[in-house]
Amino acid sequence: MNILLAIFSPRKLLYTLLVLLGVVLITFFVRPPGDPARVALGQHADAKSVQAMQQQLGLDKPLPVQIFKYVTNLAQGDLGRSIVTGKPVMETIMERLPATALLAVSSMALATILGIVLGVFAAWKANSWIDTALMSTSLLGISLPSFVVGLLFILWFAVQREWFPISGYVDKGWEYLVLPMITLAIRPLSVIARITRSSMLDVLGMDYVRTARAKGLSYISVFFKHALRNALNPVITTVSAWFAGLLAGTYFIELVFNWPGIGLATFNAIEKLDYPVIQGTVLVTALIFVATNVIADAVYTLIDPKVRAQ
Amino acid sequence: MSTPLQQSWRRIRKNPGAMIGMVILLVMVFMAIVAPLITPFDPTTQFLEYSVQQPGFKGNVLKKTNPSNPDRPILIAIKEFAVRGDSVYYTDPAGEHYRFHKSLLAGSTEDEWHITPTFILGTDRFGRDLWTRLIYGMRVSLTVGVIAQTIALIVGVLLGSLAGYFRGWVDDCIMWLINVVWSFPTLLLVVAFSVILGKGYWQTFIAIGISSWVDIARIVRGQFFSIREAEYIEATRAFGYGSIRTIFRHMLPNAIGPVIVLATAGFATAIIAEASLSFIGMGVQPPMPSWGQMIKDGYGYIALGVKWGMTVFPAAAMAIAVIALNLFGDGLRDAFDPRTSQR
Repeated sequence: MNILLAIFSPRKLLYTLLVLLGVVLITFFVRPPGDPARVALGQHADAKSVQAMQQQLGLDKPLPVQIFKYVTNLAQGDLGRSIVTGKPVMETIMERLPATALLAVSSMALATILGIVLGVFAAWKANSWIDTALMSTSLLGISLPSFVVGLLFILWFAVQREWFPISGYVDKGWEYLVLPMITLAIRPLSVIARITRSSMLDVLGMDYVRTARAKGLSYISVFFKHALRNALNPVITTVSAWFAGLLAGTYFIELVFNWPGIGLATFNAIEKLDYPVIQGTVLVTALIFVATNVIADAVYTLIDPKVRAQ
Repeated sequence: MSTPLQQSWRRIRKNPGAMIGMVILLVMVFMAIVAPLITPFDPTTQFLEYSVQQPGFKGNVLKKTNPSNPDRPILIAIKEFAVRGDSVYYTDPAGEHYRFHKSLLAGSTEDEWHITPTFILGTDRFGRDLWTRLIYGMRVSLTVGVIAQTIALIVGVLLGSLAGYFRGWVDDCIMWLINVVWSFPTLLLVVAFSVILGKGYWQTFIAIGISSWVDIARIVRGQFFSIREAEYIEATRAFGYGSIRTIFRHMLPNAIGPVIVLATAGFATAIIAEASLSFIGMGVQPPMPSWGQMIKDGYGYIALGVKWGMTVFPAAAMAIAVIALNLFGDGLRDAFDPRTSQR
């Protein structure tokens, strides 16, 4: 009960709502400079149709009224309609969300598992050549933007060696998932491996580990039973933070691999200055981002004995 | 007695990674500054006849006087030429024959008006020298990084100090703003602000700057929270110093270490953000070269498996810059936080 209260205290919920209101306010202003109605209809539209469009978009009302309408519509799950296709934005997002989720979740799973394994391995072999090699590679992984990694992977593994398709979605086969998934995993994988390694080394230097060793427990047993369990706490924080960050990374990967998720929808909308779609996708991404962080916070509270004891 | 900054500098000097990073950065900055001296052309100079050539391609170029701008002669790609009497006859790479009056040649000796430049890294779609664009792109990318990070620093330090110094409702408001901005993935926020501001050079660094101040604000606030109770700050109050003087003269200098570390990391992020923005066509606009812009130009050729240098060279340049920054940043972190430097 106490734990639940610690996670879902009314104060915290209220504050989260306040923050979300701020998020909504920012997304409200995500629209191209100039008159959106004029932008949507093009240079040659006559004044009358521009006016009609303004009315349709509610742009003729004063700003506070527009914001109020935006928020109340939002509360009913209405994100407005695309200027270009007239389709409800919510529908587009619901159609596109599974593709983005598939990419993000599979990448994160790969990054987490492989990252912890490699990090533990590097800590195990600390300061050996293999540790140095792993850490240098991970530095490279952190330093390249994901879309560049994606382009390089396409060049190496899809064009020069035809191991995987260049681009496309899994409806044509699972091999389409491999390159985007690995590409997206590279950055979090590198970070997780580095954090795991340094956290392991931290824990291994602590007194209780030394005590356990002094009691005569084998190094392997101490390493995996005592050290690893405690070393994973900062890793979990990193994983959750990165999962949230991954959503933005997905955007660019989707563009490079022509993956029909939210990101691709956003970029198509940006090209056509279809701002209701941009607002919708940005807002939904932010909401998922916030939700992930809240959940991560909760998980962290649940597993951390120090927090639980309070 | 040496100051903490001097001590940190001494620790950094002993860190080979950090020193390598710093040297690479200094070399890059120097190359960006002297760009006109180490590149054969202007970054926008086009030789449409030399479109997408391989690295090491040798050109054959005549310089003709440009009546509208004497400082920038017209560059003509040719296959061969001959001077007979008062006329210059030349054949262009497509095999067409032309002639013009000899007096129109730019310069008096053949060395001046006839050049055979080597395109070290080849050319792009418009026959522009990739090496030249890479170096000028470095200028743009580094500049955007520096200015964006400066904006982030100003906003972050200001809001962070206000929140950490005044606390109470000021802190509540600023924390709310921090949490709101925190709710967006940074890169997404950069894209969103770019939509609001429009495309362009200055729009790019403003969008990046106002999206990446949060980390700095948080760390400054945290530092201020711990410094504020220190005795030397209480002393400033006893002396009757104003808040602004206390903040800028006495508190900020003592909180500067972590801020420098974050700013270095943020600089790398800003370079990546610029490249990402330009890649989707929102950041720096053509014909201005930037690394992201160049990758965007080249990426159509990747799927064809040809001329991949157009993408790989700028990508490699960016990777080197970011790795150098990360190495230097890691060194800085170790230097400012001696506890972590044993490894």
